Amino acid sequence: MQEDIVRMQKIVKTFPGVKALDDVSFYLKSGEVMALLGENGAGKSTLVKILSGVYPKDGGTIEVFGSEIREMTTQKARELGIAIIHQELNMCQHLTVAENIFLGRERTRGLVLSEKEMNKEAAGILRRLNIDLDPEEPVGNLAVSKQQMVEIAKALSMNARILIMDEPTSALTSKEINDLFTIIKKLKKESCGIVYISHRLEELKHIIDRVTIMRDGRFITSMNFDQKRMEEIISHMVGREIKQKFPRVSCRKGERILEIRNLNAGRMVRGINLELYEGEIVGIAGLMGAGRTETTRAIFGADPKETGQIFLDGKEVTIHNVEDSIKAGIVLAPEDRKKDGLCTKLSIRDNIALPNLDVLCGKLGIVSRKKERKMTDETVDSLKIKLANAEVDAGSLSGGNQQKVVVGKWLARNSRVVIFDEPTRGIDVAAKVEIYNLMNELKKKGIGVLFVSSEMPEVLGISDRIIIMCDGKITGEMAATEATQDQILKFATQFDRKIS
Amino acid sequence: MNSKRQSWFKRLFAVRGMGQVVTVGVGLIVMCVVFGIINPTFFSGKNVANLLRQIAPILLIGIGQSYVLITGNIDLSIGSVVGMSCMISATMMTKGLNPWTAVLLTLMCCLIVGAVNGLLVAKCKLPPFIATLGTMTIARGVAQIVNNNYNTDAIGDGAKGFRDFFYYGKVAGVYNTVIIAIVLWLVFNFLLSKTRTGRHIYAIGSNIEASKLSGVNIVATTTKAYLVSSVSSCVVGLVICATSGMGTMDAGNAYEMYAVAASVIGGVSTLGGQGILIGTVIGASIWGVLQNGLQFAGAPVAIRNIVIGAIVVISVLIDVIVRSGKFGKKNKVENQVLDQEALS
Amino acid sequence: MKRKVLAAVFAMGLIASMAGCSSGQKEAVSKVQTTAAVTEAASTAAETAKEEASGGGAYKIYLITMDQMDQHWVNVDAGAQKAVKELGNVDYKWLAPDVKDDAKQIECINNAVAGGAQAILLAANGPDAVTASLQEAMDAGVKVVYVDSAASLPAIQTLATDNKAAGKTAGEEMIKALKENGIESGKIGIVNVNAATASTVAREEGFRSAFEGSQFEILETQYGEGDAAKSKDIAANYITQGCVGIFGANEGSTVGTGNAIQEAGETVIGVGFDKSDMILQLIKDGNLLATMAQNPDVMGYEGIKIAVNALEGKDTGAENFDTGVSVLTKETSN
Repeated sequence: MQEDIVRMQKIVKTFPGVKALDDVSFYLKSGEVMALLGENGAGKSTLVKILSGVYPKDGGTIEVFGSEIREMTTQKARELGIAIIHQELNMCQHLTVAENIFLGRERTRGLVLSEKEMNKEAAGILRRLNIDLDPEEPVGNLAVSKQQMVEIAKALSMNARILIMDEPTSALTSKEINDLFTIIKKLKKESCGIVYISHRLEELKHIIDRVTIMRDGRFITSMNFDQKRMEEIISHMVGREIKQKFPRVSCRKGERILEIRNLNAGRMVRGINLELYEGEIVGIAGLMGAGRTETTRAIFGADPKETGQIFLDGKEVTIHNVEDSIKAGIVLAPEDRKKDGLCTKLSIRDNIALPNLDVLCGKLGIVSRKKERKMTDETVDSLKIKLANAEVDAGSLSGGNQQKVVVGKWLARNSRVVIFDEPTRGIDVAAKVEIYNLMNELKKKGIGVLFVSSEMPEVLGISDRIIIMCDGKITGEMAATEATQDQILKFATQFDRKIS
Repeated sequence: MNSKRQSWFKRLFAVRGMGQVVTVGVGLIVMCVVFGIINPTFFSGKNVANLLRQIAPILLIGIGQSYVLITGNIDLSIGSVVGMSCMISATMMTKGLNPWTAVLLTLMCCLIVGAVNGLLVAKCKLPPFIATLGTMTIARGVAQIVNNNYNTDAIGDGAKGFRDFFYYGKVAGVYNTVIIAIVLWLVFNFLLSKTRTGRHIYAIGSNIEASKLSGVNIVATTTKAYLVSSVSSCVVGLVICATSGMGTMDAGNAYEMYAVAASVIGGVSTLGGQGILIGTVIGASIWGVLQNGLQFAGAPVAIRNIVIGAIVVISVLIDVIVRSGKFGKKNKVENQVLDQEALS
Repeated sequence: MKRKVLAAVFAMGLIASMAGCSSGQKEAVSKVQTTAAVTEAASTAAETAKEEASGGGAYKIYLITMDQMDQHWVNVDAGAQKAVKELGNVDYKWLAPDVKDDAKQIECINNAVAGGAQAILLAANGPDAVTASLQEAMDAGVKVVYVDSAASLPAIQTLATDNKAAGKTAGEEMIKALKENGIESGKIGIVNVNAATASTVAREEGFRSAFEGSQFEILETQYGEGDAAKSKDIAANYITQGCVGIFGANEGSTVGTGNAIQEAGETVIGVGFDKSDMILQLIKDGNLLATMAQNPDVMGYEGIKIAVNALEGKDTGAENFDTGVSVLTKETSN
């Protein structure tokens, strides 16, 4: 009989103005992987941050390994063997892999750092976890997926007995995800207790033993994981039944809106030709590093291109920069919402107005507040963005609502083609559906929709037509109705050269 | 034989920040050669000794500013602390106090400034620009008030030992000031590159949030950097007092900017997290060589200002271009090699 | 939020303290008024002054110098205060910016006028920069007397060292001493302050004029900002270059020159400007030949007297009053 190694009971946490956790209970047994599920804003991150000592709790009790902990600090959590892998990468870019792993607990001989020892130890840690990295490499030189592996190695090197993983796979390649799951299985055998937070519900079946579901800061239920009960789990998370995870509408395919001919932009965009028609959604699938984001950026004018012609509604448009693209009517919702899609410190209204200032300004370049407010209200209404008021910082919205603002600012100017790059990354199940509905609305209106996604089910579920890219080139194209996951993968790995 | 030499070379460049250091190092050598050609007196033993002594104070304040820059902050109070140090020590000595007691008391006053800077920035979370601008004004005010708004009288014959120690004395043909600068450089370089504190200094400059979550004491680390800065400023103030034999209220004017220049030329990034102190040595040397060499070359003032300004701007440009481009779009896996097994 | 407020308060405190103007008693005068209000206040002040004068009330006279740190200005103020004490009918205030700066000095002028000044003793930082605000002041009836450095606007009187003449004297002293040592040619170095301050520029001009027709070569002037340490470095470099004589154009430059000569131990002739304890020490020890000591206290003393005369409608004498320099050498300074 496995014992509880963590018992959190009746946890209360209030932030100014909002009750983040209301009487939440959470139990974790040794040797099990517990998925903590819930929509964005359900309180999952807050709960684990309290467990790991980042936030102090306002009420309730925490018991770890049988003893009650009155005041949890990061120091105490570390001593108890609690390690947390945060959702956002927390790496010091200028420091090496080894230096990051040992940050805050450097080994010294007297005053002097034992650099050689730490490097050796780090190499050992990485090897044991089957991570192929040089411990003396500056983290900043590594790809994001590798950085996340370093983050994982760091947590694991602290001999954690309780490991909390918050969206650990969001930036990993499939191979690395497999490696991670292997590691998790091994840790389970060693009686480590793991809390696993993820929106990628399809991954759960590989490793999850039990699930705890939260909603709106409250504990809803906890149960053994069973793949067959997925719908039940989702409805608990959302509080209502989600009839269709991927709402599909069929439209008549109309005129050709967009044609790209021979687009070349560096190593990642080579000889791209594609077409987009009214009434269809085109999804671009592929592995990380295939050049999909680079292609969208080249079309949008964010990156310079070497060759390439773009035709909109039959007429050629010259796009040298983003301004040209916006004026022509081609817009992009970028991959990194917070960094590239929004000005998080500005209000929602400012964000929506930003690319539309030419429409909102009078002759002297003065912004008409009245027009601005009207545009903001219309956008918020039509996209059903949930907010207290439009003056709030855009950075404070949930992921799904943020995405709506990102798209909303383009819709206000009647764009012709909307390109989405990873439209539902980091967004919970219910909000995902809202974004899909939004894409369908655009499709119905006759606006061209092109999207890049790494989530296969999403690509299969929403697109009408799928384009697959590999290593900078388009390797395959098919109708969604004929596509299968295996087929897509086949094209996604069709490299020019064999890699041994 | 060949392979052995190559690995030494490669290892040199593997040290982070060495690239820029070597580049400006070469620039320094070229500069010296040019000045020497224009006026061979530049290479005379006397001038070399003088030149090194002129570089020493710049190196010291450069070290202090480098420490603070690496943590991702800035110290604008350096010049005023230099002035304050000069005035406090001189005033006390003219009032008859033993020079070494004066030095001790001066050091304590400067440490207070450093501590205040650290607390304002790390604990009160004031932007470093504003916080150190404030202490800069206050320190300058103290420098003026300490002798009632006058420059001091001569510090007297009793201070000869003090003046020799900090400025006029020599050991084996090298001026004491240079030795003091070298010793302090060795100490601070060791601290920065080989100790836990040093590692934490780089860490909070690189990613303060990650450091906090890893248990690094942000307040302590930030304050330590500011303390190093105020200690070096204190020493420079004492050097100036020893040089002039009196206290001058506007000593150290604009020194914080020279300190930034020396740091940046040497490869310390104003964005934090990067830079090595050997670079600051080169940066300070370039600064000193310019001041000295342009005089020997007989260059009119306007040329001198333009040359110096241009070098600083170019160095910062190189810094910004290289640094921000380096860790930018690393999401895009450019050279990621994917196996055939990278499926399912 | 709290942090932002703290930062804002801090910043405003800084700006207030840096607003440039402070009085001799360390009160910060930071009122900023519009020109119209200033002229208004001044003309009413001038009228009240005339009434007061005939009734024997106190005259409001302001001294505005270039900064408050240099001992030179402190001495001007001392001389002025002496006259004020003697006369007994002057309400006196000393204003100056914290650093030498044209804009800040203009602020001080405006503040003085707004404060009801009837006469201003001014040491102009930049001869042309202040003319506009000075003209306004004069139009409003304020009497202007220049001390040490005149602006390019004609005023009641200028009490100053004839810097050019003093510089020439310095040069002549140097040539004399060099000749006594049998040196008729060689390099000469000048350590000046900056290219903008009129007084030191004039001194250099005068110094150079003494060398006309001689065999000496004057090297490119170097600027040490009046900082004693910088000046010392510059002078040391001159000595390395083989200079036989070095001229320091103000107090800081002179201290630096003396220190460099002391260290070098060679027979370099150093001549400087201004008087201070350190400079006298250097002369006593034989490291400096001589210094041109100005008489700033005379400027202040006579300046107040002239200003009062002007306000009382009496004769103020010639336009230029040379307050002269004393050549202080080892013999004469004892």
